[in-house]
Amino acid sequence: MDFSYSQEQVMLFDSVTRYLEKNYDFDSRKALVASDEPWSANVWAQFAELGLLALPFSEEHGGLGGSISDLVSFSRSFGKHLVIEPFAFAIMLSGAALAASANPRAAEWIEKLASGEAVAAFAYEEGNGTASPELIAMTAQENDAGFVLTGEKRIVIAGGDADVLVVAAKMCATGKVALFFVERSTEGLSTSPFTTIDGRSAANIRFDNVRVGSDAMLLDDASDALDRIIAQALIVLSAEALGAMHALLDITSEYAMTRKQFGQPIAMFQAIAHRLADMKIAYAKALSTLTYTTALANSGAVTARDIHVLKGQLGKLGREIGESAIQVHGGLGLTDELNVGHYHKRLLAYDAMFGDHDYHLRKLGQR
Amino acid sequence: MNVEFSPELEAFRREVAEFFATAPTPAIREAGRKTTSVFAPFDQCMAWHQILYEKGWAAPHWPKEYGGTGWSVEQRFIFAEEYRKADLPPLLPQSLGMVGPLLIDLGTEEQKAKYLPPILKGQDFWAQGYSEPGSGSDLASLSCRAEADGDDYIINGSKIWTTYAHHANRMFMLVRTSTEGKKQAGITFLLLDRMDYPGMEVRPIYGLDGFPEQCEVFFDNVRVPQSGRVGEENQGWSVAKHLLKHERGGGNAASPTLMRYLERARAAACETSSPFGGMLADDPVFQRDFGELEADVTSLSHLEKLAISGHEIARDPAFPSMNKTINSELVQRASVMMSKVSGVGGLARQLEALRVGSNVEPQGSEFDLITMPLYLNSRATTIYAGSNEVQRDLIARSLAAGA
Ligand SMILES: Cc1cc2nc3c(=O)[nH]c(=O)nc-3n(C[C@H](O)[C@H](O)[C@H](O)COP(=O)(O)OP(=O)(O)OC[C@H]3O[C@@H](n4cnc5c(N)ncnc54)[C@H](O)[C@@H]3O)c2cc1C
Repeated sequence: MDFSYSQEQVMLFDSVTRYLEKNYDFDSRKALVASDEPWSANVWAQFAELGLLALPFSEEHGGLGGSISDLVSFSRSFGKHLVIEPFAFAIMLSGAALAASANPRAAEWIEKLASGEAVAAFAYEEGNGTASPELIAMTAQENDAGFVLTGEKRIVIAGGDADVLVVAAKMCATGKVALFFVERSTEGLSTSPFTTIDGRSAANIRFDNVRVGSDAMLLDDASDALDRIIAQALIVLSAEALGAMHALLDITSEYAMTRKQFGQPIAMFQAIAHRLADMKIAYAKALSTLTYTTALANSGAVTARDIHVLKGQLGKLGREIGESAIQVHGGLGLTDELNVGHYHKRLLAYDAMFGDHDYHLRKLGQR
Repeated sequence: MNVEFSPELEAFRREVAEFFATAPTPAIREAGRKTTSVFAPFDQCMAWHQILYEKGWAAPHWPKEYGGTGWSVEQRFIFAEEYRKADLPPLLPQSLGMVGPLLIDLGTEEQKAKYLPPILKGQDFWAQGYSEPGSGSDLASLSCRAEADGDDYIINGSKIWTTYAHHANRMFMLVRTSTEGKKQAGITFLLLDRMDYPGMEVRPIYGLDGFPEQCEVFFDNVRVPQSGRVGEENQGWSVAKHLLKHERGGGNAASPTLMRYLERARAAACETSSPFGGMLADDPVFQRDFGELEADVTSLSHLEKLAISGHEIARDPAFPSMNKTINSELVQRASVMMSKVSGVGGLARQLEALRVGSNVEPQGSEFDLITMPLYLNSRATTIYAGSNEVQRDLIARSLAAGA
């Protein structure tokens, strides 16, 4: 067993981290979130430059054939910098769904995604915390020319700005969940865009009898593929969450050592000392689970159970760490100006998406 | 022992409910439904305060001679319950709940005559200037200085976390008037007539929910009259401790608000599907979690009813700390429950739709609109009015003292 990162992975982490430290400090990020831009086109171009956007795709798709541990290595830094660019959604989810299809048009899109020329959004969530493909209610009715899509997708990250949507819908004929791609210009889409609490650009999208051609289908029975794709993306999103937890642990312990009340650092009060200790313990659990799960996924051995453990634990531990970080900061922790609340909001959003920790822990208990 | 309300009280309940059903304007109702903090949206809240004043109901907990209602404790509890059921904006606590009762107890006749009527009428709003950047939990270490100069004090320093100071026209504050002896012995309690004295500046602070609620207040050689002092110079600590009784005990029951949160969460859960099939409200795990929370809220309501009936539990020196700890943690748990019911529905940042009078449609339901701001804002309940760490120390100390 060896859970360390390879030399290449350390280099990848270093170059991403160096870039973000220079170009993505908290104040520039804040200005970016407040601007009209959904994310930074420059940063996205730089991600393409660094090879990140091509990394997960196979060589036959023109990608770099990176492993999941390659992706985890630098995604922690995304979490630390609260990156709002939709890497996990555009590349890990939408890109992977396109890559799972034999449709030749999918390959064209992948090429554009990998070069940063186009962005894709994953239209999957239906607003109830759509934790599993079984829960998809949106329908696809087949006709002579292709398919008619009806329903609503919510919290589609990058959904207001993407060039193409990857859409999960239930086939009326078979009852199976299928995947389609829908170009932005298609008629019948009504998009209502907004920013999420953690600064990402998102949209709710209604599909009113949206007609697509028969060549828009990616997979006619996508359940297994979706489980696999979401599992891989959840590992990357968990790495982002772990990066946020690490930042909170550092920031909070440092604050508690320097903030003085009653003539001593608040870290000296047992109530605070024990809270910090619990935060550290929570972080150790989260780190171990993510690292081990990544290694399992790297060897192709990750199971649904492992993903339930990962998402359940990191969702729960992340909230614990975030809430403690705020409490230890006192009034300061409640301000928008400080980064602490922003890390916490990222962790809240992470927990809510693709089934919250209650869901995953219960699935675990059901087995 | 007897828990029933008399037919007269039930008639009183109907009278209150009837008034709440007819008196508030649509904007006031909207403000009530969109209240995601202890502090309701300011303008509608003050408008509602004035309507209650006209009815004679603005200050049920004040003595009758100062404009209180003269109600029994049961009547006050019924009033609070109906208030929450109607989702009306809670009146702001600083004036009616803190400085008003303090002046009634300790103010000079002049101070009472000048300040109490506009508080009661909802014309004045007072900010509470205690905390400083360096002095939070350890309030006695405060350093904002006031130096006597003729009939005035000259103030230098700053205050922070001053809730709604950007809306206030008056402020009560603690200042350091001496650095000799124990740090508690050099503090003075001051009333400021205005918030726009030369040299005074108020800067709002934005909270996690994206709204300005607290403020920083800066003093640069601000000259205020000494007649605003409550109590003697350097005796402000005991004045503040007296006020604290009103702040923590407050006579304001928290359980009706909590019950209302639970009702709203349950109603939303009846319309939300569970990932395990059926509706969330029918899910056994939801029911278990909800039941546990509801039982705790009910116990708090029992405790509050015992306290208002004069039960000895309320005379325990640790009671205010226990009450604060229980209700602040329940507010947080209830807000977690609400945001769990919303799930991803709470992830949209919707500042515009939350504004009272906004014509921006919310993403999702009105319930989804409020759950995340409520959750984020309620992270403060275990910090203000004495953090829960400090309250637990006080509770433990009362045990050690044999109480
Ligand atoms: C929403 C909100 C509204 C407020 N409104 C007002 C207002 O209107 N006017 C006003 O004057 N102030 C107001 N406050 C300020 C509030 O009273 C302070 O935030 C509070 O006293 C805590 O001080 P602090 O924020 O400096 O935290 P600190 O005192 O620095 O505490 C930081 C952490 O250390 C812990 N800690 C500190 N001392 C001890 C100890 N001895 N033992 C164990 N743990 C300890 C605390 O529990 C906390 O977790 C408000 C605060 C908030 C959040």
